[in-house]
Amino acid sequence: MSTQYSILFKQEHAHDDAIWTAAWGKSEADGSETIITGSLDDMVKVWKWSDEKLELQWTLEGHQLGVVSVDISQNGAIAASSSLDAHIRLWDLESGKQVKSMDAGPVDAWTVAFSPDSKHIATGSHHGKVNIFGVESGKKEYSLDTRGKFILSIAYSPDGKYLASGAIDGIINIFDIATGKLLHTLEGHAMPIRSLTFSPDSQLLATASDDGYIKIYDVQHASLAGTLSGHGSWVLNVAFSPDNTHFVSSSSDKSVKVWDASTRTCINTFFDHQDQVWSVKYNSNGSKVVSAGDDRAIHIYDCPL
Amino acid sequence: MASFGWKRKIGERVSKSAVQQFEAEAEKLEEEDGAGADEEVDWLHAIKRRREVLLDDCAAKSKRLKDEGALLAEEGRHWEAVKKWDEAIQLTPDNSQIYEMKSQVLTMLHEEFPAVKAAEMAVKFQPLWWQAWQTLGRAQLNLGEVDLAVRSFQTAIHLCPSESALWQEDLKWARTLQKQQLATKEKMRQEEETKTQILNAPELQQDYDFETDEVLAACVAIAERQTQYEELKRTAVVIDAEGNLQNVVSGEGSGGAVTPSEEKFVKARGL
Repeated sequence: MSTQYSILFKQEHAHDDAIWTAAWGKSEADGSETIITGSLDDMVKVWKWSDEKLELQWTLEGHQLGVVSVDISQNGAIAASSSLDAHIRLWDLESGKQVKSMDAGPVDAWTVAFSPDSKHIATGSHHGKVNIFGVESGKKEYSLDTRGKFILSIAYSPDGKYLASGAIDGIINIFDIATGKLLHTLEGHAMPIRSLTFSPDSQLLATASDDGYIKIYDVQHASLAGTLSGHGSWVLNVAFSPDNTHFVSSSSDKSVKVWDASTRTCINTFFDHQDQVWSVKYNSNGSKVVSAGDDRAIHIYDCPL
Repeated sequence: MASFGWKRKIGERVSKSAVQQFEAEAEKLEEEDGAGADEEVDWLHAIKRRREVLLDDCAAKSKRLKDEGALLAEEGRHWEAVKKWDEAIQLTPDNSQIYEMKSQVLTMLHEEFPAVKAAEMAVKFQPLWWQAWQTLGRAQLNLGEVDLAVRSFQTAIHLCPSESALWQEDLKWARTLQKQQLATKEKMRQEEETKTQILNAPELQQDYDFETDEVLAACVAIAERQTQYEELKRTAVVIDAEGNLQNVVSGEGSGGAVTPSEEKFVKARGL
């Protein structure tokens, strides 16, 4: 276990084009760690993280256009991917086979997110609707309406109570999942919100925007708890560490930053990418961070625990 | 011995407008210096300040040229607009808006390759600006680079997915063209393959053991391939109004078209 932040591993040329999205999952069955990446080259790639290095396990072909978003189910068995071809595909990570393909209709698939019980997948849509698909059924089961603009980002709270969406005009909506009611509408940013995430205790919500700021909200009171600046350009992704104490962000200024969640200060900046960094995620115990971006590289960083 | 040609070339690559700018600036400064000659000169800062003033002035002048170019373009005086913008680019070489406008006008002038070049500069200096990617995609499409255009449009959409024109017009159209290109390529490949089959028919190989009924069978096989090839040659890839692909037999009706192969078949039998 390391005591300081450092880059551990670089996978150069992981895809043939820009990498837009990445996810880190852990298999409940055998405890193995899997990273999946989605790219403008239409591919989804599955990588095994073992012995401090990445090994390509599957290249999942099927999407006709660039892959915008990927997510892994809580048990680490299924991956979901969405693409500009308006399809959401489900993949079995054990066999590398496609399980389901769902036609989300034109412009109705952007960020995909598994619900905490992994029975549903939520995705944003063009007209401000959050569509919920059943993993078993492969069909749209219901939708939540924000009555707003294009939804770029989606997040479930880990306790399964809330669903938050971030729109292209900077508006944040928080729904109560049990009742399907819109709880809060927050005028968070004046610019697109490309990523948002709940803290693992479901108390805080972090949002990343093109305005270069990260904002932290208290979910219960729907109040702003902090605004963080430091990135020189759009903030493209945010992710919380599993122990609530830190979060990471990535930006089109080519950097990845680690923040202390209590003091709300930046404690480390990685400047290892050559281009915009579209995605950043923690692993399940918070000891590692993965990032990927337009330079087609996947980086793994060591984090002190 | 040939002399090293460094010195003679110095200055050639300095843009005329930048030189004029610099000279005017120098004169102005001299005048100023004349006025306050007794004052002590802060040499350390003077140089830095002059550079800043020069940069500021370049930006202002470039903006004026850019606006002039835009006016000319609106009036349809496209070449004159391009000239203005080229001057502006000399002054501010990293202003992606000028490149983007230039690319659009070059497209109107059917200067496809320079249009792509200009748009490439625009996305280079402002990679998060979706309009520049859209312009690049359109320029690439005009050049026939369909795959590159599809990529550019996707990048634009990824930056701004709420822009419906990108989905409905640009990407959709480019994808249709991409499919057509693929279908055409596939047909050419098929044609090529059938042709080689005719030319290198296994039946025509030297060590082929000829017996009467086998000769007949071989001829039938060759003739069949011939028909297949002709059939392929007569079909054309056609896209209907909805963008669906169809293989359509062109030329004479299929009834009359069979004759040539029959003729050859008869000839083959006569051998």
